[in-house]
Amino acid sequence: MTPQELSVKAKQELSGGEHTRPGRTYVPDVDISETPDSLWLWADMPGVDEHSVEVKLDEGVLAIEGRVSLKEYEGLTPLYTEYNVGNYARRFSLSADIDAERIKARMANGVLELELPKTARAKPRKIPISAG
Amino acid sequence: MALFRLSSPLDPISGLLELQRELERLAENPLGMDLGFSGRGAFPAMNIFSDKDGYVVRLEVPGVPPEQISIETRGRTLTVSGRRAASGPEGASVHRREREAGEFARSIQLPDDLDLSRAEAGCKHGILTIRIPKREEAKPRQITVKAA
Repeated sequence: MTPQELSVKAKQELSGGEHTRPGRTYVPDVDISETPDSLWLWADMPGVDEHSVEVKLDEGVLAIEGRVSLKEYEGLTPLYTEYNVGNYARRFSLSADIDAERIKARMANGVLELELPKTARAKPRKIPISAG
Repeated sequence: MALFRLSSPLDPISGLLELQRELERLAENPLGMDLGFSGRGAFPAMNIFSDKDGYVVRLEVPGVPPEQISIETRGRTLTVSGRRAASGPEGASVHRREREAGEFARSIQLPDDLDLSRAEAGCKHGILTIRIPKREEAKPRQITVKAA
């Protein structure tokens, strides 16, 4: 059986004039999940290493930004291209209260993984019902 | 063949604009490369470059660890296959799923003057780079003129 073919979406350019760097900036594809304790986010940013990524949380808005290195392209002549190369940026309004001090970020194989722990106030709480 | 070559070293500001412009210009495959059977739109997205030694094939494979990638050559055909795992943790409720997961495979056919038996691959920050040198006899050679 042939494996199901994964498709690739064309990279979306970031719209709006909010980026300060020259050149095109792309919106990374993300997965977002929620567990009782945390929000989890994964963002595809191929070409970005752990020193070139920035995560900011300000008033419930999470901003992620990654910068690509051009070093690997020096001395090359493009012959055929399917994707363009650029920096990445995306912002999210978070639905839960996040404890900014305990955010964990990790970069592996070009994917940013964020664990955003909820504050005690935002965690679901079971309310015991006593027999009347 | 394209006459353009990205300079070395690339300036961090104008270099990005230069690279983006060149990649855009080539997005329609104006060189009419015959890549065989697996085309545009399949994961992983691919760019092909040349350098002084041969070809450099680059694929975006974010989230695929190098040990999950297999590269195979047969004749002039180069096949890259592997698997991209879905993001965990188990039992979490999913709010957004834009990153596709599953198995992938892509093949391309390369020109005859490349030596696939000497191809080398490396994977860094979610980008797979395969370097395929030209055959020795296909490399430009300087011929010294001797005094008669």
